[in-house]
Amino acid sequence: MDPFSPEGELINLHTAFHTGRFAAVASATTSSLSAANALPARILQLRARIAISPSSAAAVAKELASESSPVDLVAARTLAEHVASPSKDGPKDKALALSQSDGDNLTVQLCCGTILANAGQTAEALALLAKHQGSLDAVALITQIHLAANRLDLAVAELRNARAWAQDSLLVNIAESWAGLRAGGEKYQAAFYVFEELATAPPVPLGGDGEEETAGTAKALLGQAIAELHLGRLPEAEAALGTALERGPDDADVLATAVTLNTILGKDAERQAMLGRLAKANKEHPLLVDAQAKKDLFDSATAKWTPKFEVEA
Amino acid sequence: MLTKFETKSNRVKGLSFHSKRPWILASLHSGVIQLWDYRMGTLIDRFDEHDGPVRGVHFHKSQPLFVSGGDDYKIKVWNYKLHRCLFTLLGHLDYIRTVQFHHEYPWIVSASDDQTIRIWNWQSRTCISVLTGHNHYVMCASFHPKEDLVVSASLDQTVRVWDIGALRKKTVSPADDILRLSQMNTDLFGGVDAVVKYVLEGHDRGVNWAAFHPTLPLIVSGADDRQVKLWRMNDTKAWEVDTLRGHINNVSCVMFHAKQDIIVSNSEDKSIRVWDVTKRTGVQTFRREHDRFWILASHPEMNLLAAGHDSGMIVFKLERERPAFAVSGDSLFYTKDRFLRFYEFSTQRDTQVIPIRRPGSTSLNQSPRTLSYSPTENAVLVCSDVEGGSYELYTIPKDSIGRGDSMQDAKKGTGGSAVFVARNRFAVVDKINNQVLIKNLKNEVVKKCGLPIAADAVFYAGTGNLLCRAEDRVVIFDLQQRTVLGDLQTPFIKYIVWSNDMESVALLSKHAIIIASKKLVHQCTLHETIRVKSGAWDDNGVFIYTTLNHIKYCLPNGDSGIIRTLDVPIYITKVSGNTIFCLDRDGKNRSIVIDATEYIFKLSLLKKRYDHVMSMIRNSQLCGEAMIAYLQQKGFPDVALHFVKDERTRFNLAIDSGNIQIAVASATAIDEKDYWYRLGVEALRQGNAGIVEYAYQRTKNFERLSFLYLITGNNEKLSKMLKIAEVKNDVMGQFHNALYLGDVRERVKILENVGHLPLAYITASVHGLQDVAERLATKLGDDVPSLPEGKAASLLMPPAPIMCSGDWPLLRVMKGIFEGGLDNIGRGAADEEDEAVDGDWGEELEMVDVDGLQNGDVNAILEDGEVAEEIEEEGGWDLEDLELPPEADTPKASVNSRSSVFVAPTPGMPVNQIWTQRSSLAAEHAAAGNFDTAMRLLSRQLGIKNFAPLRPMFLDLHTGSHSYLRAFSSAPVISLAVERGWNESASPNVRGPPALVFNFSQLEEKLKASYKATTAGKFTEALRLFISILHTIPLIVVESRREVDEVKELIIIVKEYVLGLQMELKRREIKDNLVRQQELAAYFTHCNLQMPHLRLALINAMTVCYKAKNLATAANFARRLLETNPTIENQAKTARKVLQAAERNMTDAAQLNYDFRNPFVICGATYVPIYRGQKDVSCPYCSSRFVPSQEGQLCTVCDLAVVGADASGLLCSASQIR
Repeated sequence: MDPFSPEGELINLHTAFHTGRFAAVASATTSSLSAANALPARILQLRARIAISPSSAAAVAKELASESSPVDLVAARTLAEHVASPSKDGPKDKALALSQSDGDNLTVQLCCGTILANAGQTAEALALLAKHQGSLDAVALITQIHLAANRLDLAVAELRNARAWAQDSLLVNIAESWAGLRAGGEKYQAAFYVFEELATAPPVPLGGDGEEETAGTAKALLGQAIAELHLGRLPEAEAALGTALERGPDDADVLATAVTLNTILGKDAERQAMLGRLAKANKEHPLLVDAQAKKDLFDSATAKWTPKFEVEA
Repeated sequence: MLTKFETKSNRVKGLSFHSKRPWILASLHSGVIQLWDYRMGTLIDRFDEHDGPVRGVHFHKSQPLFVSGGDDYKIKVWNYKLHRCLFTLLGHLDYIRTVQFHHEYPWIVSASDDQTIRIWNWQSRTCISVLTGHNHYVMCASFHPKEDLVVSASLDQTVRVWDIGALRKKTVSPADDILRLSQMNTDLFGGVDAVVKYVLEGHDRGVNWAAFHPTLPLIVSGADDRQVKLWRMNDTKAWEVDTLRGHINNVSCVMFHAKQDIIVSNSEDKSIRVWDVTKRTGVQTFRREHDRFWILASHPEMNLLAAGHDSGMIVFKLERERPAFAVSGDSLFYTKDRFLRFYEFSTQRDTQVIPIRRPGSTSLNQSPRTLSYSPTENAVLVCSDVEGGSYELYTIPKDSIGRGDSMQDAKKGTGGSAVFVARNRFAVVDKINNQVLIKNLKNEVVKKCGLPIAADAVFYAGTGNLLCRAEDRVVIFDLQQRTVLGDLQTPFIKYIVWSNDMESVALLSKHAIIIASKKLVHQCTLHETIRVKSGAWDDNGVFIYTTLNHIKYCLPNGDSGIIRTLDVPIYITKVSGNTIFCLDRDGKNRSIVIDATEYIFKLSLLKKRYDHVMSMIRNSQLCGEAMIAYLQQKGFPDVALHFVKDERTRFNLAIDSGNIQIAVASATAIDEKDYWYRLGVEALRQGNAGIVEYAYQRTKNFERLSFLYLITGNNEKLSKMLKIAEVKNDVMGQFHNALYLGDVRERVKILENVGHLPLAYITASVHGLQDVAERLATKLGDDVPSLPEGKAASLLMPPAPIMCSGDWPLLRVMKGIFEGGLDNIGRGAADEEDEAVDGDWGEELEMVDVDGLQNGDVNAILEDGEVAEEIEEEGGWDLEDLELPPEADTPKASVNSRSSVFVAPTPGMPVNQIWTQRSSLAAEHAAAGNFDTAMRLLSRQLGIKNFAPLRPMFLDLHTGSHSYLRAFSSAPVISLAVERGWNESASPNVRGPPALVFNFSQLEEKLKASYKATTAGKFTEALRLFISILHTIPLIVVESRREVDEVKELIIIVKEYVLGLQMELKRREIKDNLVRQQELAAYFTHCNLQMPHLRLALINAMTVCYKAKNLATAANFARRLLETNPTIENQAKTARKVLQAAERNMTDAAQLNYDFRNPFVICGATYVPIYRGQKDVSCPYCSSRFVPSQEGQLCTVCDLAVVGADASGLLCSASQIR
């Protein structure tokens, strides 16, 4: 039986992971799970911890430093190392090696696929992920890689395939929303519904020792806010984003979206504040990188005009 | 059959509905006539004057009358308001079977066993015609609803149609009545005013009933041969159409249904049967166990029937009248006839969507009961009672909202109820296995879920949740986790309505409304005596609902009240503000505007939104005893205070709320002792000694007043009281006051004066007043009383109060939030020009009176310099539309994630690129991050060469058009393009233009801010704002050409201000150069400014020139100022004084480069006038003018473009290119 199928033990954990309840997943009690599910559960928890923050990822890397088998843990460690310090080449090489040697292992596919995608080696990443055996995580990652490469058509095809066998699974719905946000038009609305559902659904208790959570993680709310932003409903987007900021005050993606939204709303003071917080949360965030690139571009473009102007003057 | 009301009684032989009120008359075999209210289920009256069975009864359509006929041969006409029989019509010689009023004339038709039918005039109380011809008992006779016809049925096996046209003609003038009396006899024998038109033969046994069709020339009859026959007639003949067989005993009554093509008959076989008129087949049969049916009656207006039987009667409906509907946002889907229809609340557009039943199928109670709609999938679930409960699933085609008559093949299934639970999932109840099936839109089961209770219906309860209903409870059930989220004991719930925020739910049962939270926590229950029909939540969380005859509201705390009454039941679909949208029983959409004031007021009070409460008190006519009582009961006497004009009520409320000021005012107005007394008590309670004193004074209550002075230590007033008492000759008062004052001499004096010499003596000697004591002792002589021995006497002085005079510390009375607010009504907004007073608009001018006048009227008109508006038609390197295929069309590498050979796909085209390919608008290029092309566009269109000021705008545009989605954890972020102007019709995969950070309305806001800054004299700030507008405009995109013109206008407006303000700032810099100062001030007045600004500029220039002794010029400014009709009197006054001063001495001290008689524009760089006819160059963007030497320089006004550069003109809308 597929451990992630609705009747499976891991469904709640898996759902929680993909709705962004990383802390809850990390602290969930897994002792009651059957032996077969112990490893997948552990991997999910490790991935959740990696996703929380780079520093938390570093802790994972340290914790797993001595593990050499099973290969799942090695893959997780590699991902942790990569996330902890994205600029290093070591984990990337390791990922490539792992994908050659243990390409059939799902954890390897997911962790190394992520690393390769981050490193821009999309062809390798896709080749590795293509080996998956009915894993929705892999489908989601493939979808994302396609989207990042502006191949909406491929992403949609991938999802259509997945829907054929995974039916109404939550992750398929989420991944469809990602594609929907790229497709635009009425798909925005559909995506909005999915995120809104995620954001308002009460969290399933996972038995962790964490505090009781409220409905809606930063991630789900962010999705909702982005969908609303795209739908042109700015006040609603602002409200959702506000809630997302409460849930995840240091979430770089939330902050980045807040920058965008405040720019659109023309709220300069808030935007500067968000930019500051974003720089603190993640200096490497694409928004900051892109903004810097555009600043440079502007200056170089202006340079073409200025001298000419001065000559005339 | 839907039974609405049932009675138990003796055999019911006659029935009649009231046309307006919910009343029905039942005449009984026992001789009694009952009047029932079938809605409330109460017996209103009984009329017991007939002797023996009463077989016929009928209400008058408009008068408070009814007629009855019985076995005592009597026809009685009754007035139900007076509860008595008005008169009796005698004439029949045997039992009377039926009686009926004419709908128009004052006639009654009666049928009798004496084989005659008689027509009576109930006003003249005479028989006006006797219809003879039947040769057995006449069982029934009735008027045609429109024509001059009567139909009768008789045991002689015939049905006869009578023409009474002649009779009607005779009644044209009332004088005929007398005439006719004499003709009576001829009528009897000749029968000229009523003749038999047709004799319908066909029944084999006696006919019990015959009735006309309300509109068609049809007759239906029922007879002892157990058959119902349908007859048709035309002008010349009548014939039998068909026979309806089925009853197994005598048919007692039969009639056409007024609104549907059906016949209803009842019979002694204890059944009521419904027949299809067109197909002539039985549709339905209702049976009773023991009771034979005798009579049927239909409501003249509503869809109600009644049937009388051996042991009572029933009022019933054949079919439900509630249209099935579903509301989703702004749209309403509902069923009418055989169509699904769509109604949009905002536009009130009503369209037919798709047919959902085959034409011509009349099956009763098979119409849709409920609808469920999924907005995302545009699918509708229709549930009905067909086959004991089934559903049909229709997908509404996107474009074919229209007349299409072709039936869609719906996906069907059986199940008690079906409802959408997610956008593409619906739940169906499987009652037998007590489970719900979750199905997808292909009608395939995707999941099965056992139910926690024996539910027979389910309702939506948020995505993934179901509200399940059982007989005595409802539960909310989570389908994913299969857990019960909430549970509530309720009566049988018929409908549920969720509030707009899905936080509360209203559960509607037959006679109760239960409001619960989303977890089914009970909040309040309302009980109604009559049926609850429908309801909807308004935006404020008030539940608006309807009963059979009222629209009512229910507040969150359970308070309810009537909003208005209803004539006919309606089904509320949506409440928006104070408009109620509803469906009526004919399936028509109606909107009713209600007065929401009362419940909004109560709600505000409940939510403690006192600001709302106050504004409502101020602005509306909320008043009335009920509201005051409500406020008092709810503990808001202070609020009620604001409604009341009546002083007594006001006083009471003021005392209740402790508002002493109002109480004083009211008490003054009333000026009655009792009120003053109560005021005193309350004031004393609060410690307001001043008012207590006032109250006592008003009632001349000297004792209390004295005591009050005592306890407040007011000795001065106390001595006054003593004097008053003395004047009034009030000894006790005098003595008390003296005692309070501790004034022994006074006391002794009083005692002495009243003759209590011994007491006076003792008082004096005890207190050591020896001289007085001795004097008294001599007076007393021998009767000197002995003083008590061994006691040291001391003067008892009242203790001094801790606080003397004035009020005590006042009791803190809950001070109305209201009072404060109500007192500062109407603090007007400060006049903008007043702000200028504090501003930096130059110093005040000291005036001396001078004479002199100067003439010459100047109206300097600034030439605006129209911008060249040619729009580039073609060319450029960017206008060719590449029309690249959208990204979805890029070659499909057939990707199958399972294929063994993996081919890596090539990357697709980013959205940025798509944007720039399509556009020649600089802003869109900048948003796409293509700064280089954006700059080239701007340079070409507007001659802009200096881009440094545009840097932040470019970056903002880029940032604002992208969002970042972190999809898969730890994986790269996807950049998403934010599009402009998304709407629901946008189709996917077609890229809209990018969202832009700047828009025109922002600029308008900014312009207002700039004006304000200018008014306030904050020139630097204003200049900064104006320039920022000027810098944003190149990156604006608007939709229509009209807006393009507005943008162009804006450039001109702003440019004028920038130039003016630059000059004004410059003027302030050069303090020493007086001439130049005057010149700049003068030029400033020639910029095209708003009127208030122009006035300020004129005053400024006037002041500067006057001070510099350039009186003629100053006078010119003064005149111009006066021409503007300044609203501030001070300005006008100063100007007049300047004029007067200048008139005496019309000279200029210094020559200025300023000729106001000659039109000119000002050079934007050198600030010199360019008079008409002189050469100039202009800025290609802002169109400022410059002296020719400035050509090739950067425009000093906009700081963007190069003066005199070639440019194609502003391009800021796609509509300019099309």
